Amino acid sequence: MTDPYRPSITRREAALRLSAAAVAAAAVSGGALVFHNRRSVVAAAAPIPDWRVPLPASAPKAAAARGSDPGTNVRRAVAALGGMESFVHQGEVVLIKPNIGWDRLPEQAANTDPQVVAELVRLCLAAGAKKVIVTDISCNDPRRCFARSGIAAAAAAAGAEVLEAQRLRMVPAALPGLSAGLEVVEEIVRADRVINVPVVKHHSLCKATLGMKNWFGVMGRGRNRLHQDINRALAELGATFRPTLTVVDATRVLVTNGPVGGSLADVRAVGAVAAGTDPVLCDAWGAAQLGLAPGSLPFVEDAERRGLGRADLALVKELGTS
Amino acid sequence: MNWTTRIRIVYQATFLVIFVWLLARLAAGDPRALPYSAFLHGDPLSAIGVTLAAGTLPGALIWALVLIALTLVLGRVFCGWICPLGTLQQLSSWLFSPRSRRESLQVNRYRRWYALKTYILAAVLVAALAGTLQSGLFDPLSLTARALASGLWPVLPGGRPVPGGWLAALLFLTILVASRWIPRVFCRGLCPLGALLGVFSRFAIFRIHRVSDACNSCKLCAFACQGADEPLGNHRVSECHVCLNCLPGCPENAMSYRALPPLPSPPPKPDLSRRYLFGTVLGAFAVAPLLRATGGGRDAARPRLIRPPGALGEPEFLQRCVKCSLCQQACPTGALQPAIAQAGVEGFWSPILVPRRGWCEFACVRCGEVCPTQAISRLTAVRKTGYDGRPPVSIGTAFIDRGRCLPWAMSTPCIVCEEMCPTDPKAIWFEVADEPLREGTARRVQRPRVDAAKCVGCGICENKCPVGEEAAIRVASVGETRDPLNRLLAGENPS
Repeated sequence: MTDPYRPSITRREAALRLSAAAVAAAAVSGGALVFHNRRSVVAAAAPIPDWRVPLPASAPKAAAARGSDPGTNVRRAVAALGGMESFVHQGEVVLIKPNIGWDRLPEQAANTDPQVVAELVRLCLAAGAKKVIVTDISCNDPRRCFARSGIAAAAAAAGAEVLEAQRLRMVPAALPGLSAGLEVVEEIVRADRVINVPVVKHHSLCKATLGMKNWFGVMGRGRNRLHQDINRALAELGATFRPTLTVVDATRVLVTNGPVGGSLADVRAVGAVAAGTDPVLCDAWGAAQLGLAPGSLPFVEDAERRGLGRADLALVKELGTS
Repeated sequence: MNWTTRIRIVYQATFLVIFVWLLARLAAGDPRALPYSAFLHGDPLSAIGVTLAAGTLPGALIWALVLIALTLVLGRVFCGWICPLGTLQQLSSWLFSPRSRRESLQVNRYRRWYALKTYILAAVLVAALAGTLQSGLFDPLSLTARALASGLWPVLPGGRPVPGGWLAALLFLTILVASRWIPRVFCRGLCPLGALLGVFSRFAIFRIHRVSDACNSCKLCAFACQGADEPLGNHRVSECHVCLNCLPGCPENAMSYRALPPLPSPPPKPDLSRRYLFGTVLGAFAVAPLLRATGGGRDAARPRLIRPPGALGEPEFLQRCVKCSLCQQACPTGALQPAIAQAGVEGFWSPILVPRRGWCEFACVRCGEVCPTQAISRLTAVRKTGYDGRPPVSIGTAFIDRGRCLPWAMSTPCIVCEEMCPTDPKAIWFEVADEPLREGTARRVQRPRVDAAKCVGCGICENKCPVGEEAAIRVASVGETRDPLNRLLAGENPS
């Protein structure tokens, strides 16, 4: 009965179409409100947790063991601090951060000794850790670094989850006092405990690369800008990253041409490992293995001034040769 | 579906999977010595091309004889059963072209322009003889590997960008999309490897046979014919891909694939015009000198033409490189990239090292291990690094840009290039200097200097330099071991 010259719609049809239009308008407005001024461009920077374990003031700050077997040295040094059970508790996730920066063999001493890493993994698992992650952001091709350093195989055999750089997720980090726009490995922010395992090496800018310098390996792009004020940056890293333990590997020490090395003539067999809860003291001990007085390293002095630890070698419990 | 078709599909799928899997293992840095270059080793086009260009048949390319022998017995089974590009085109035309019987018959008729592939074959072989090897541009194996390495892997999770990769991807996709209208358009019209195998397949023992008494000329045999070789009439043996689709197609069981007596001599030739062929040969002879003199390669100054370690001298390198992208796929740092203009027209898509994308890992010799033609010679890590006591293999020399370098230009401490330097002793050393500050005071900095005699040009300094976009230390090819004329120091003694 509709008049072809005056098209009309039924009441029912009109109601349906009006409600459809209302729903569409509501959806568009709602979407606009949800996304209006949403801060999606800048992700929130993750704060760096404090991984230290509260200890009595009388507890030893660091202990050093010497001997031909790196694993034994680790065990003795950690035992002298009260054993791994004092630091790692049932069900915790532990991240071990060795230096796996270079495509070099263990004998070339550019990376942490694989036996040191493996022993730490075993100790953590024996202490009840739920999971032990071993990771580092290498300077050379990570696949080659993890394989040729021997660390991937040794740590995996000891029961760790080995994470190469291409499997890591990076998150923006709150690193006050350091270069802007830096990221850190997500796993470290999530870990309950962190053990820093540097290897003692010569370095042309800060003389020695030790524990505080080892934190470079948890940062992503832009970390190479930190060299512009390296001593302050290292102390800043020391103030930002507070590890549960620092284990300094001086099994082999690269005395020149660091931190990459290459020639076996640059390597000195020292056969020592130190473990400690005071990162400044650990770096001071590491410097001594290179023949450097702690006072000659500005970043150690700076860190001590900030109250991050004490660079007094007398505080290191020397356990002697096994 | 007939059992012959089923078996063929299993073969095709298997070879396609192996082809992609090998590239994937290569990209993943699989430490096992898998036969990464197996497909290219068996490629007669590369083998004959390299032999004509370089005057030698390098190493494992001798495997190409196996494929030639196979073709002499069974015909072009490579095209129908093995070639990954053929398989993908067949898949594409099957997926995207629902056709009526009449249309199917129409698109599978032979076209005169399918002879173009033979002209391309003649052109690349003659050009190779004249000294420029371009067979790799048209070779289906190189073409597919290129497209996957530069067009697919960069977009996979964790993939690294390859500038120019879109070119390879576009060509590849064009071929696949065009197969919607003309099945196996590349195989039929353009593939020089197919044309080459066609030369041998004419003498094949096993061929398609039609019992003409049983044939009622229904043309159903041509319904799914991949090679457009017209089994219904005077069978074009050199076009046949041995897909065997004609066998089940025949309702009269008139078709068979079997050992047959030799074809009457002279065997049927492809539809070649003598005039066109003469023109092609003449033109191809002209290409080599033309590219060399005006294509901007070889003898031009080419500071950013940094070749992989172990690469032969530029002329010898270009006589062997088939542009297969295997070295690029193998490079652990993503340093090797296809040259778009850096190596001249002649070296289009040959590998160059781009330090801002990656560096040459000091003890890594992967690119030479996978190069199918030994354009990049095999090195041992000990030889490359110079740990054997001889000078290390150098691919260039690093130069400091004092206008951008932080210690040199901004009085700001920075040692990253030296820190990264892998040689022992390091090629980068420091000069300690007091650099002025605008307040009138000075700051003590270590200014990097390059010991050109020690530098191997690996480019990790340029890659890691904290100065954004253009680095403050950059590698140029001068001093490369492979070229005794591209020298820097008088006392330098190439190893």
